[in-house]
Amino acid sequence: MSLANAVKLDLRTKIAVKNLSFFYGDSIALKSVNMPVYTNKVTALIGPSGCGKSTLLRVMNRMYDLYPRQRAEGEVLLDGENILDAKQDLNLLRARVGMVFQKPTPFPMSIYENIAFGIRLYEKLPKIELDGRVETALKGAALWEEVRDKLNASGLSLSGGQQQRLCIARTVAIQPEVILFDEPASALDPISTAKVEELIDELKANYTIVIVTHNMQQAARVSEYTAFMYLGELVEFGGTSHMFTSPDQQQTQNYITGRFG
Amino acid sequence: MLSFKKLEHFRTQNRYPLLLKMLSPLEKSGAKAKDESGSANSIGAFTALKYHDRLWFGGEFLVQALEQMTLADIAMESGRVAYISAGQRARVLRSFKFRDASFHGLTLAAALAVLILLGGVIVSLFIGALPAIKAFGFGFLVTESWNPVTNRFGAMAPVYGTLITSAIAMLVAVPIGLGIAVFLTELCPPKLRRPLGIAIELLAGIPSIIYGIWGLFVFAPFLQQYVQPTLIGAFGSIPGLSMLFAGPPYGIGILTAGIVLAIMVLPYISSISRDVFEAVPPVLKEAAYGVGCTTSEVVRKVVIPYARAGVVGGVMLALGRALGETMAVTFVIGNAHRISGSLFAPGTTISATIANEFTEAVGDLYTSSLIELGLILFVITFIVLAAARYMLMRIERKAQV
Repeated sequence: MSLANAVKLDLRTKIAVKNLSFFYGDSIALKSVNMPVYTNKVTALIGPSGCGKSTLLRVMNRMYDLYPRQRAEGEVLLDGENILDAKQDLNLLRARVGMVFQKPTPFPMSIYENIAFGIRLYEKLPKIELDGRVETALKGAALWEEVRDKLNASGLSLSGGQQQRLCIARTVAIQPEVILFDEPASALDPISTAKVEELIDELKANYTIVIVTHNMQQAARVSEYTAFMYLGELVEFGGTSHMFTSPDQQQTQNYITGRFG
Repeated sequence: MLSFKKLEHFRTQNRYPLLLKMLSPLEKSGAKAKDESGSANSIGAFTALKYHDRLWFGGEFLVQALEQMTLADIAMESGRVAYISAGQRARVLRSFKFRDASFHGLTLAAALAVLILLGGVIVSLFIGALPAIKAFGFGFLVTESWNPVTNRFGAMAPVYGTLITSAIAMLVAVPIGLGIAVFLTELCPPKLRRPLGIAIELLAGIPSIIYGIWGLFVFAPFLQQYVQPTLIGAFGSIPGLSMLFAGPPYGIGILTAGIVLAIMVLPYISSISRDVFEAVPPVLKEAAYGVGCTTSEVVRKVVIPYARAGVVGGVMLALGRALGETMAVTFVIGNAHRISGSLFAPGTTISATIANEFTEAVGDLYTSSLIELGLILFVITFIVLAAARYMLMRIERKAQV
């Protein structure tokens, strides 16, 4: 997409990935990837297993930093600021760039505490205000009606789909700027999946979203931009409708039509 | 050609003789068949037929008949051979049943043996303690004096010593043990992880007698010279605390025994906690880091709550060990049958008393009192374990709600 086009569509770049390479020990997982993530848009990362899309996602909030033998080279600019910089405050970064995982990961505490926990890390709020924030977050994740009467029950007592929405609520509650979804619906039934997708669609009004998915229809349904990756390289990046109807690369077409991958 | 009906007919006539003789040409034909067709299927069918049928078919004419069968026939009929041998299958199943039943019986016997042993220990302790129970009744538990000369015995001092030394051990060992486990799983550079882990597990391998002599000859003098005077100086003038840190610094005493116990149970707490911390799913920790937690927040709010059942289990195992530990405690506790408010005062524990006095116990009542002490220790340990179970049950129920 040309710069002129981007300006015309009122696209602001939230995250700019520049020449990013990533290594697990000695093996290379990303090879000089360049791509933008636009503000308040949903960007989908697709590609066969092992192509590096989850790795790319994990670079965006430096989750890889928890593991000693993983390292990234290049630049990832969040609002123009390189987050790969050693001086970057990781806790602050992860508050700005939230993440929802493939498997629901409620913390071992009550539903209320699951949400309040993240908020308390950053703000000291009076109880009443905290209650309000928890309610807003749960409503934002379309979970409030289902759990309003059992906020003190364990987060683990919810169904898988509810747990996943609880995790989304938890992420939303700390008011990040970007939310990363790592195959958020792959462990869910079709109804829960539809709810999560609906949610993603609503969330993009306020947040910038990056989603990794194996489900081509899901990428087509929820995203405005799609990046197709293969063997650690970004093969093609573009508008989702363009990618799914007339991709520029033969490889992309093959993958999308199911000829490989 | 041999039809299946014919085979069925032979079977009903129960002709079994000349089995071996019958099999050898069959095998040859099988080998030939393999050469010709190379088809594993046909060979499989042939083998199945051979083994199933040798119980049911007899007579040389059958061999000829079989030789006339084409491979295709064999393959086709083999599916029904299993049906023919239903009777045999029942026999095999019966023998399985027998083996299963005897296996069940053996394991049941092993489990029952434990129960019988346990019951036997309780009963014999109780019988041994009966004279003392008759003589002192409930007063045994609340009497401090222990006087072999007047034959007056009371368990309060050793029970107190046992509980206090174990409590000190837990107070010291639980935070340190958890700290070690957290460091090893969350913070330790990978290179240090294994050596440190092994070193801590080695602590568990040191015999208690060595802790005893080390405690008596090295640790107690060190405490006497440096630590205890400092503590007396620091807390001696504070009301309340002054009582705990009163009296002359003997070196040996309740506090020393508690600290030695703490060192002894440390590896249990830290290695069990490390194992359960390692079992916390990485993605859960990532999620916690993902909302912006620091490492200490992740550990306190996510890792420990998630692993709490295992941690409680480890702590209770350590407590059980501390309550029963004999040798090291006997060395450093001072063996005095009295209760003193000060942690520096010498005291005694149940196991130390028994170990010290069993050889010189003359008279039935003396021996019986010692046995009753043993019974009390048994009960205390049982209560601790039961409490641990109860706590675990509550934790689990809470997690499920």
